[in-house]
Amino acid sequence: MDLKTRIFNVLLKHSTIVMFVIFFVLFSIMSARFFSLKNMEIILGNSTYIGLVAIGMTFVLLIGGIDLSVGSTMYFSVVVMGVLIENDWPITAAIIVCLLVGLAVGAFNAVIITVLNFSPFLATLITMLIVRGAGLWISKSKAINYPESITKMSTYDVFGLIPMHIFIFALMLLITYVYLEYAPWGRHLYAIGNNEEISMKAGIRVRPLMFSTYTICGVMAAMGGLVAITRLGRANANFGSGEEFNAIAAAVLGGVSLFGGVGNIFPGTFIGIIMIQMVQAGLVYINVDIYLHSIIMALIIFLAVFIDSIKTSYLQGLKKKNIMKLECK
Amino acid sequence: MTNNKLRYLKEQLFGDYFILIVTILYVVVLLPFIPRIISAYNLKNLFSNALPLIIIAVGQTYVLIIAGIDLSQTSIMAFSSVMGAFIMAEKFNPDIFSKCPLWGWFITESGGLFSGTMMAVPAAIIVMLLCGVLIGLLNGVSIAFFKMPAFIVTLVNMMLFTALAIYLPNSENILYLPKSFVFLGKGSFYSIITMPLIIVTVLVILAHLLLSTTLFGRKVYSVGTNAEAARVSGYKVKKIIICTYMISGFCAACGSILYTARLEQGRPTLGSASLLDIIGANIIAGVSLSGGRGKIISVVFGVFFFVILNNSLSLLNLPFYLIDIVKGLIILAAVLLDVIRMRKEQR
Amino acid sequence: MITLKNINKSFYGVQVLFDMSFELKEGSIVGFLGENGAGKSTIMNIIGGVLQPDSGTLEFKGKPYEPESPSDAIDNKITFIHQELNLLSNLTVAENLMLDRFPKLLGLPLINKRKMFRICQQFLDEINVDIKSTDVVEDLPPGTRQMVEIAKALLTDADLYLFDEPTTSLTAKESAILFKLIRKLKDNGKTIIYISHILSDIKKLTDELVILRDGKLVATGKTADYTTDRMVMEMVGSEMENIFPPYKNTATGKIKMRVDCLSQPGMVKNISFKVRQGEVVGFFGLMGSGRTELARMIFGIDSYREGAVYLNDELMPKNKPDVMINNGAAFITEDRRSEGLLMNLSIDFNLSMIAAKSNSSRIFKRVSKRRLDKLAEETSKSLRLKANNIYKQKPKNLSGGNQQKVVIGKWLPEKPEIFLVDEPTRGIDVKAKYEVYTILNQLAENGSGILFISSELEELQALCDRIIVMSRGEIIREFQREEFDTAEIVKAAFREGYETIGEV
Repeated sequence: MDLKTRIFNVLLKHSTIVMFVIFFVLFSIMSARFFSLKNMEIILGNSTYIGLVAIGMTFVLLIGGIDLSVGSTMYFSVVVMGVLIENDWPITAAIIVCLLVGLAVGAFNAVIITVLNFSPFLATLITMLIVRGAGLWISKSKAINYPESITKMSTYDVFGLIPMHIFIFALMLLITYVYLEYAPWGRHLYAIGNNEEISMKAGIRVRPLMFSTYTICGVMAAMGGLVAITRLGRANANFGSGEEFNAIAAAVLGGVSLFGGVGNIFPGTFIGIIMIQMVQAGLVYINVDIYLHSIIMALIIFLAVFIDSIKTSYLQGLKKKNIMKLECK
Repeated sequence: MTNNKLRYLKEQLFGDYFILIVTILYVVVLLPFIPRIISAYNLKNLFSNALPLIIIAVGQTYVLIIAGIDLSQTSIMAFSSVMGAFIMAEKFNPDIFSKCPLWGWFITESGGLFSGTMMAVPAAIIVMLLCGVLIGLLNGVSIAFFKMPAFIVTLVNMMLFTALAIYLPNSENILYLPKSFVFLGKGSFYSIITMPLIIVTVLVILAHLLLSTTLFGRKVYSVGTNAEAARVSGYKVKKIIICTYMISGFCAACGSILYTARLEQGRPTLGSASLLDIIGANIIAGVSLSGGRGKIISVVFGVFFFVILNNSLSLLNLPFYLIDIVKGLIILAAVLLDVIRMRKEQR
Repeated sequence: MITLKNINKSFYGVQVLFDMSFELKEGSIVGFLGENGAGKSTIMNIIGGVLQPDSGTLEFKGKPYEPESPSDAIDNKITFIHQELNLLSNLTVAENLMLDRFPKLLGLPLINKRKMFRICQQFLDEINVDIKSTDVVEDLPPGTRQMVEIAKALLTDADLYLFDEPTTSLTAKESAILFKLIRKLKDNGKTIIYISHILSDIKKLTDELVILRDGKLVATGKTADYTTDRMVMEMVGSEMENIFPPYKNTATGKIKMRVDCLSQPGMVKNISFKVRQGEVVGFFGLMGSGRTELARMIFGIDSYREGAVYLNDELMPKNKPDVMINNGAAFITEDRRSEGLLMNLSIDFNLSMIAAKSNSSRIFKRVSKRRLDKLAEETSKSLRLKANNIYKQKPKNLSGGNQQKVVIGKWLPEKPEIFLVDEPTRGIDVKAKYEVYTILNQLAENGSGILFISSELEELQALCDRIIVMSRGEIIREFQREEFDTAEIVKAAFREGYETIGEV
């Protein structure tokens, strides 16, 4: 293999990062203000809540599933929290209940999928409807305003340095990264995503792990909702709707496969989330019509998936050639 | 003999007409509580809501049968609504539209590209249908040739064309559509036989005939059941997949025409809330998400069931948030019932 | 070590093991020999806990042994190396090796990756396998993957190892390493059961022999006492039962199909042959000899690099099954389940899959349900299909033999002139087999050319006008009917005495 094809192969293999760098450089050239520490912080800050949801989604996608209910889960859990706070519950207790609600919704999904054997798409679609309705029921479909005790959390700096929401995001990134890369159960998720039957033969407890995965996704969605609330201070009736697609888009942009077993939290999903926020910020800086933003975003995601599918077939072809060569030896 | 008759009855009950029977039972049970549900006004309202949705859901059925999914249908509705209106609208308010990217060459104060000419309405309809078919083609080619997952492809195209539909008219509704176009959505003969009823009936019959009596229909079922077996039997699987997505796009565009005409405006947010009804109606009609199963006739009943459900819940003065919960539970029950039915069949 | 007593096993009413009894000594390498379908794999699966016997008992290390699942076998220190790979392709070699026993990091529930890679690398080096423990499995060639599978098995400390055709995808060098490893296991007092189709390997490697034929034990003894000729003799037996219809020579001189120098790297090499009108041409070979791949290429399902296929002297395009069908070809797949049938649609729908095209109107392509129903009923009658109601019943509720009839039946209304038939009698009972043979004979009599792939030599000999033997993607030899000789044909398939022909 000559140098040129080798470089090409490396670039293709890391196409997500290449794309990220290209956009970063492009925006930096086009707008001086884009390339500033302040802007980096804004981009990171905007990524936090959807980032948390996308982390949970990554787990589910890794085992070859999907969770369409995360947007509703976000809404339902913060609504429950809001009502509890209105009823003078202590903030900490309300937050814990908020996360537990996420856990319960996740567990509900898990039961439909692992016990009743529904397809994940259908199961989470049903949950999405029911949970959104339940949230609207509790909130009487009115917007909920949160007290200062909640909103001031977003301005609180951990160690006087890192904003709270960024700290939570970074912490969860670290924990989930370590879990997926270094915990036996994390590696088992990759195994399940690759082939359930072989995993079962190899002694992996497939059903319990699937169960826990959907539960984790539910908790992460609730956490995402919570973080969003600390920054917005208010939950409308359509809070969180459509976020399931944004989370899936971020994960897919970061190279997580919808067929399972491929992808990672870092750099993968993280890059995907940051890329979305960066492009959105960049478009603002270079004064692109606000209506064009989502068009450009959609085109970028399309491009990423397209490159990914081309890459897969190209690398497969390459592998075949290499294997052939090896066999001829 | 009676045994046979019983079995026949059972088959019919649990077969194609199952969902129709459920719908009728549902209405009968609710009748004492809300007699208004069968009032002429309500029924008319109900029908006009259901008709465009039926044709869109039928398009989705084709895609679901080949084990795909088309999330982009709602964006096709919005996008073609806007495009059609751009072509035929009789005037544009410069205060609103002068910032549009199409202002000055495509649309002007005195109307859209073809406005005022004989060609306006036919051209608009052709362009609207073309939008649907071409977006379907884009979906199909990406899925069949580039092996991209259907879910992501149609999701991204949904995002893309929803955004385009909003961008082009700067998220404004486009008014002043020609009378002859509006007739398509509102016109009627003897006040009962409405234009949408005629159009949808014709299209549904065509869709039904295409799926159940033609070679193409057989190929669609074959590909959805076992694409590899279809390939070995000499079927051009890729072509068939692309065709179903084009049909889905075409049907969405037809629905868009009816809605646009009824609302008398090109609406960039058209259909944004109907995706769930489309897929939900298919699921309770027994169309399998894993492909190979589904009938047009059941889907028509499925849509009616969904529309009646919505209608009755609002007539009952139930809060609207309950609608989602009820819908969710009904899909859950329908799928569970289906699982039981399949198990029985296997025995 | 392990004792089997009167083991019987049937699948769907077809008995595959008859009163199987034998005993294996500790610390020996035992070769299992037999043709495809002789029952070797069934025995392995019973010992490995994958299948349970219908009757009979097993004893392992002097104690009764009744495994109910593969994990029971593992708990009893029995390791089964399957012919197909059971690896997770997205994980590294080390992860696959240690999936259920990752080394912990400082007592935390985390993996010590460095240690994991080190332990695995040490182990791989120790057993002299040239694999990096950090490589991802999907980047490895099939042979190397097989070595990973073997390494995975060796890493578990077992007393009895079952190898099911481990060398099919190994290179000569890798095979040599494997043999060294197996001998080392034996030196450590382990017992090994080794199944292979390569007689020279069996001769080289094993101490004892167990030879099976048609689910019965026919011979055991010291390997040293057997020549390869005697092995073949015992395997194929001599008597041929009357389970085949009488042979009829219906071949004419007219050439229906011609295949010229077909080649596809890694699959087949330089394949040329002809099929005449009314002729049945058998293709024999071991698993992986490239017969199925060849048939798929000819029919246009898979692509090929070089060569040409002619039907009735007309050149056929590559990769176009529909053109092949229009020119009168039919392909009866070996894999009924995933390529042959639409399991969830009705039988009549399946039977009309091919005929629908010619029974539809010119415009709109509306199919004539009436005509198709008539055809489907005729077909099901002529095939004597046992189904209650072909319009309601689905193929998944049929027996294997009747499923096969549906697979064949869907082609019949179009009266194809050339049939590519791949293992049509696999997994169906004797009676159904007889019916399939009759159908094939009838087709030939009506003037169709038949390319008949099978791993059962008896049926090929009974039906075919010629038998072409393939091995590793090449044609080794062609036998005319008067030259048919079981031992010679098997030898050709095993390349015994044909070593000089083309090295791969």
